[in-house]
Amino acid sequence: MSAIELRGVSRWYGNVVAVNDVTMTIGPGVTGLLGPNGAGKSTVLHLIAGFLAPSRGELTVGGVPSWRNPDIYRTVGLVPERDSVYAFLTGAEFVSTTAKLHRLADPAGATRRAIAIVDMADAQDRRISTYSKGMRQRIKVAAALVHDPQVLLLDEPFNGMDPRQRLHMMDLLTRLGAEGRTILLSSHILEEVEQLADTIQVIVSGRLAASGDFRAIRRLMTSRPHVFLVRSSDDRGLGSALIGRQAVTGVELTGGGLQVRACDFGAFSRELAGLARDKDIRLRELLPEDEDLESVFAYLLES
Amino acid sequence: MPAQDRAVAARAGRQNLTKCEAQHVSGQPSSLAAAPLREPDPRGAAVIETTALTKRYPGPVTALDGLTVTVEPGITGLVGANGAGKSTLIKILLGLLPPTSGQAKVLGGDCVRDGERIRGLTGYMPEHDCLPPDVAATEFVTHLGRMSGLPPTAAKERAAESLRHVGLYEERYRQIGTYSTGMKQRVKLAQALVGDPRLLLLDEPTVGLDPAGRTSMLELIARIGAEFGISIVVASHLLGEIERICDHLVAIEGGRLLRADTITSMTQVSQVLLIEVDEGSDLLLAELARRGLEPRPYQRAVLVRLDGDETYDAVRDAVADLGLPLNRLEQRRRRVEELFRDEEGGRDDPAPGSQTPEASHVG
Amino acid sequence: MSVSRGSTGAPPVPAGAEPGVIHDIGYRRYTGRRLGRAQIIRALYWHSLRSAYGLGRGAKAKIVPVLAFAIMCLPAIVNAVSMSQGGGRIVDYDTYTNQLRVVVMIIFIAAQAPELVSRDLRSHVLPLYFCRPLRRLDYPVAKLAAFITACLVIIEIPLLLLYLGTVAQVHSGSAVWDQTRALIPGLLVGLMWSVLLAAIGLALASLTGRRAYATGSIAIYFFLTWILAGILIAVTQRNVVRTVNVKPPPGAPLPPGVPAGGTVQAHVVTQVPTTATHLVGLVSPFTTLDGVRQWLGGTSVGPVPGVAGYGALYGAMLLVLLAVSLAGLAARYRKAGSL
Repeated sequence: MSAIELRGVSRWYGNVVAVNDVTMTIGPGVTGLLGPNGAGKSTVLHLIAGFLAPSRGELTVGGVPSWRNPDIYRTVGLVPERDSVYAFLTGAEFVSTTAKLHRLADPAGATRRAIAIVDMADAQDRRISTYSKGMRQRIKVAAALVHDPQVLLLDEPFNGMDPRQRLHMMDLLTRLGAEGRTILLSSHILEEVEQLADTIQVIVSGRLAASGDFRAIRRLMTSRPHVFLVRSSDDRGLGSALIGRQAVTGVELTGGGLQVRACDFGAFSRELAGLARDKDIRLRELLPEDEDLESVFAYLLES
Repeated sequence: MPAQDRAVAARAGRQNLTKCEAQHVSGQPSSLAAAPLREPDPRGAAVIETTALTKRYPGPVTALDGLTVTVEPGITGLVGANGAGKSTLIKILLGLLPPTSGQAKVLGGDCVRDGERIRGLTGYMPEHDCLPPDVAATEFVTHLGRMSGLPPTAAKERAAESLRHVGLYEERYRQIGTYSTGMKQRVKLAQALVGDPRLLLLDEPTVGLDPAGRTSMLELIARIGAEFGISIVVASHLLGEIERICDHLVAIEGGRLLRADTITSMTQVSQVLLIEVDEGSDLLLAELARRGLEPRPYQRAVLVRLDGDETYDAVRDAVADLGLPLNRLEQRRRRVEELFRDEEGGRDDPAPGSQTPEASHVG
Repeated sequence: MSVSRGSTGAPPVPAGAEPGVIHDIGYRRYTGRRLGRAQIIRALYWHSLRSAYGLGRGAKAKIVPVLAFAIMCLPAIVNAVSMSQGGGRIVDYDTYTNQLRVVVMIIFIAAQAPELVSRDLRSHVLPLYFCRPLRRLDYPVAKLAAFITACLVIIEIPLLLLYLGTVAQVHSGSAVWDQTRALIPGLLVGLMWSVLLAAIGLALASLTGRRAYATGSIAIYFFLTWILAGILIAVTQRNVVRTVNVKPPPGAPLPPGVPAGGTVQAHVVTQVPTTATHLVGLVSPFTTLDGVRQWLGGTSVGPVPGVAGYGALYGAMLLVLLAVSLAGLAARYRKAGSL
């Protein structure tokens, strides 16, 4: 399979431990790699891409170690963060050079397809030095896709892209993920990762802090009450009814509505509608306030 | 709740805050002798006005093509422009580049004639790295305060204040080369504030920041816009953050105005109710259908048309009857990104009061 | 806003307690004086002048400027000491130990011009200047004025020390007046040096943000042209052989065939400048400056062995070098200043 597997992987530079005993499996679909600056995300990507060897542990891509294994690049495409294009080439030349380096059977056709996928056909014959940042990113993605890789590693791929380009890229990645490719995306823009990624891997100070679906991760944080915002026809009445329930540890009347803290999220969500009906209170809005990726990520960093 | 929704809820509160804080803060206008440029009136006069603004470079590259837009006081997001368009627009607004044709006015002054005065009233935060590594932040911001025309003591004092407002405390005495990305962005913001600008131009202020850094930078910008009485234009590619902190949006594409509108009207609620239950969606679908609500599934949730208050009660009762765990209940809102999903640029049905190329007038 | 005892909604303060105040330390608008463009330029001038001498930048940055200044003062001190012991003046005002001055200036300019301009280029800080109420050319004008001042300090103060050291030893009013009259042209020559060398140094430094490249290119340009000029001056001179009759000194052995008390024929070889020699000084800014000095009437001996009728060429070369440097600076900052 084209899964990426890390088992007990560590990487250090002298005294600096960039990656510390990380064990994770990355399967088909889109996975988000998250973490604060300096946490080790880029190191993990470089380890997977075979640019670095693990100081300890095993790392395989599709069952084969990526270190010192150029064959791996048949199945792996990498879009690095830094500018890594030759500015004097045209976009088409850059992609077709990559195609030829991969020894593809039909480099011209592959180039055309890759450039069409990223929607750069109009600008392909201009020099990369004339491209905007977003266009450079797209041509990098084209070069990473030209050999139709099963595994795609992307480090901040949307950097510099305007909204239309971003949406286009997000659709592209969603499509590629749905096709069964393994896509690992490292990004700070959590609202986009939330839309794209089915699973996330969170790295904090070199250690793997959490993996999986972020909603499930949130549910695991049982010591943190879930926070909800409720708007109803009688917030105060609803609040006083809710505070009588075991599942609720706190209610607060704010300008925007009734903020409820529920230590037993499951019981609360089951009881709310019935309670409102019993008190003849109309429920207009119920919004979970800390179930989004941004809140989950912030909580992971705090602990 | 997603940050966008929190922001929408907070925006109403902030509008009120803006008015009353602005009056408190702007009690004494700054004494620019014989300044024809007026202070931005929080109640409505435009901060930036362009009329058929065009800039062509030899190439032939057209960076701006007949851009006509008005930017109101408050926090405005500038979105969509490609690199050339955005930096060209900023240079023209600061009076550093004359347009090929058309006109641009900032704070009531013409950009070509009053460029120097405009630059004295504007603060600019560039996107790229622009900080020397071997100077301490206090010294750097003080020097730039002098370059803004502040006398020596005022420059020192305002530099200290600006650094405090952006949240740099003991770090400010260390050399900038030792700072993290987040701290460097704050220094850039402090130097834009030191001259007491009436308008801030922030170019991608959160680029390179991790999520925590982005949140605190966005909060800082929102606070400046709300409490300091300074109008802000934030150039950004991230629609999420624009929805979060901006009151208005200006979207430029191909050098022309795509849309200019308030965020409120671009994130209006629709007459569709979204219901999300943690399990039993199909049961819910069936029960709602039984009650005649014509539900349809959407991702993890269920959508029904909102036909008055009875719909809320019907939904509540359906969920209560089935004993399902209710996770989310909300009116769906439009998102700013819909503007860019639509191939024609979302130009059909703009909200009343919004500006589009057809709606706005020239001259 | 202040909260004090008895305000609505606040709980009463216990008897005898001081009323509490919360001070408003929110953002304050600036309502004071704003300085105009001229004063901003002046502020930039002073800031640049300070960095030319490493002030406000830690001890290491001061080493080269301070050493250069100290070394430049040495001849004046040596002269004062020698005069106090009864010797004559050994250093002229208008050349002032030319070799030493050349070397010190090359080192000072190569080390400090990059401090003024290359650092700003490297850190890409220029947009922050140009988004302020300043015009594009104000920046290089302030930098150049500051660097000229910095060079003036290093050149003129030693001259003044020389003057003071000499005048202290001289006791008549007319001698003092003579010294003063000799000083003035020296100061003017120093001014010429400062203006030209500062302009060239800054123009070269503004070509790159890398300090090492800037220092290197300035040093190489000045040194190479200086040495080249020296070589060319030496090789273009003609050997002129004269035959003279010389009376040998008493007691010296006489060549055969010469009676005692008679004269001997000797060949005297003199180096005589040719036309080329008069012109090759144009190659180096230092010899150009020397040529202009002689054209304007300077009589002390300098590296250029006379300008013959070509003095105007030296003057023109000086202006050309200056113009090219200024144009280069202007062009550089018109381009580099774009946001």
